[in-house]
Amino acid sequence: MTTRQRLDLLARAYPRLFPRAELLRLLRSQLGHVDALDKWIVREGVRVRACSPEIIYHICAGNLAVSAWTSIAQGLLLGAHNVVKLPGDRDDSSTRREILDFIRGLPVALRKLVETHQVLDADLLSRADAVVAFGSDETMDSIHKQLRWDQKFIAHGHALSLLWLSDPSRLTTGQARACATDVLTYDQLGCLSPQAIYVPPKTNFDALARKFSSALEAHWQALPKKHARPLGVAARIAEARDLAYALDHRVWLPPKKHLGWTLIHDPDPTFQPSTLHGVIYLRQAAEFQLSTALASVRGRISTVGLVGHLSSRLENVFLSLGVSRFCPAGRMQFPPLTWHHDGGASLSDLVTWIDSEEVK
Amino acid sequence: MPASLDFSAAAVRRAWIKKLLGPIDEAKWNELVRELFAWQFATVPAYRRLCPAHEFTPKNFASWRDIPAVPQQLFKREKLFAHGFSKPSAIYETSGTTTGQPGRQYLLSTDIYRAVSVEGANRIGLFAHIDYLHFLTPSPQDAPHSSLSAMFGFWQKHHGSKRGRFWVKDQRIDFNRLRETLIAQIKAGQPIGIAGTAFSFVHLIDAWADLPPLRLPRGSWLLETGGFKGRSREVSKAELYAQLARAFSLREVDIYNEYGMSELSSQAYTHGVRGAHHLPPWARVLVVDPATGCEVGIGQRGLIRWIDLANVDSVLALQTLDMATRTSLGFDLIGRLPRTERRGCSLGAEDLAGSSGDEMSPREPGQQVVRATRTALSHAVRRLPGRKS
Repeated sequence: MTTRQRLDLLARAYPRLFPRAELLRLLRSQLGHVDALDKWIVREGVRVRACSPEIIYHICAGNLAVSAWTSIAQGLLLGAHNVVKLPGDRDDSSTRREILDFIRGLPVALRKLVETHQVLDADLLSRADAVVAFGSDETMDSIHKQLRWDQKFIAHGHALSLLWLSDPSRLTTGQARACATDVLTYDQLGCLSPQAIYVPPKTNFDALARKFSSALEAHWQALPKKHARPLGVAARIAEARDLAYALDHRVWLPPKKHLGWTLIHDPDPTFQPSTLHGVIYLRQAAEFQLSTALASVRGRISTVGLVGHLSSRLENVFLSLGVSRFCPAGRMQFPPLTWHHDGGASLSDLVTWIDSEEVK
Repeated sequence: MPASLDFSAAAVRRAWIKKLLGPIDEAKWNELVRELFAWQFATVPAYRRLCPAHEFTPKNFASWRDIPAVPQQLFKREKLFAHGFSKPSAIYETSGTTTGQPGRQYLLSTDIYRAVSVEGANRIGLFAHIDYLHFLTPSPQDAPHSSLSAMFGFWQKHHGSKRGRFWVKDQRIDFNRLRETLIAQIKAGQPIGIAGTAFSFVHLIDAWADLPPLRLPRGSWLLETGGFKGRSREVSKAELYAQLARAFSLREVDIYNEYGMSELSSQAYTHGVRGAHHLPPWARVLVVDPATGCEVGIGQRGLIRWIDLANVDSVLALQTLDMATRTSLGFDLIGRLPRTERRGCSLGAEDLAGSSGDEMSPREPGQQVVRATRTALSHAVRRLPGRKS
């Protein structure tokens, strides 16, 4: 099966997740040519050909299926055999089922290229040419220790994202809705989920919170399937709310105090991880303070979603903090397939190139 | 609304102890809760801020069951002390494994803690038959911020200071010396009580793995507190009790568990693998649904909320992250809520705090080698007849 055939099958099975045009763009941008895996192409006057890993071992994280879907889809595009280590079967997570549903939804020709495992298979892991893993730093370390030097290892450790509003007083309803989309999509569980909204000094928090509250509630009400709130999640949300009250932070809750979202203004600009599950913090910091405020998460910030103008000074601050993506609010959770996840290139990092120089 | 008592006055505290240790029926319980709540609402700023958010103040006090509870985590973020700038006579610390910041319990005086922790142990019969107490913790002098060492110190004093010994010194236990001492006491036929963190007992079992069992005299007991997950090895409660029973030739019912925490002054006790936790009359537990803050129905799971009338100097109502099933007679303890509900690739507090892999936060500082939490619960589900509340 050629790359184009696999691409067509994938795009037909999941046209919204993996549109054909985007898949083509991904191949062109990362491999230089759609057919680079199937035939010699000429680059810079040299014939080259990309060689896919035979086996890719995907180690999936607990609560978010979309990263696994994308990783598997990229492996399929490359034509590799994909071994998928599923997350544990937890009663408060549907991730495992969603990954299995995704695999079931593939056409037979692609499904044959995927096998799933409940536990890490050391033998298969040692035979894999490449390993793509999602999880904590400890998980990454542990997997890395089990690999040989010649195995490719793409590690996606934990990360976080932020929103920056350059002029909150001019926030429109549409922009507030865009921010709400970023916060509530995937229940804030991904590395692209904002955990804090940073605003400049002199922000009118009452007015801003009114806009956000209304946007968050509208988004929550529009969700066709509300995120589950099992005991543990409810406990963490309740704890975050009570802590905020006791610490004299401003708290805005939904009508009837449902657990869909929680907006808290913490006067301390220093970043603190959110409880997630819709708990979002408003923090105020001047541009010159951000470097200090975000020092504890330097190198861990994936995406900064923007409302308004990003000054070059602020851009430099974020770059010095290791931010790897800027995007407009509302798009944080929906990066293009060509996105450099954690700064890497999803396809080209996995392939090996063969050069064929002209023989004279 | 009752006139608020002033718990900084020694006479009020003495009178309060008397009330707690005396008979407490439902009416008395309600009266005492009202009095203490009014005092803490007036004197603990963080509590005063929290209560109105739950539309509960001394003015609209309807039922003790609705009293807002402070999250355990708040002890790490805020000084919850009802005596303003007065100097506390004791500060007990929890671990700082999640945020790197320990939680602190400030006591104006240890008088109430001493009285209820001794009386609580006394009422379950811990001091009834034993001659000598061994504590597998540092002494209160060596670990002044450990509420567990403090409690054992009170026990030692109550029982007779020459009839008790602390065995953790410089973060080590001299297991050989301990064994020699026990053998001598066994020969003398003296019943013995040995109390420590669950994890210290795990170390003890490991240290004596190749040695023959000891035969503790009748009337002897062991008391473990806290969990031991994430330490050098994990042991289930049933396994630990079986090993301890073998190592000391005791019945499993001679092994007690204490459920308490630095943020509280009272303790609950159980004995045997499936023993029931007994609360003293001055403390109650509700199993609540965190989504509503209300008590769950019988047979349903929720989180344990303590109402502790001995916790005078901070806050009487504490919301834990300990899971339980409410039963018709009380509650079945399940265990600590896992710290991480598990995120996908989103970073959380534990990622920033470093590599603490254990789910349970040890409450005691200064016990590096053998420490284990008292808030943590064992992994086995226990059947608790509980108490009428």
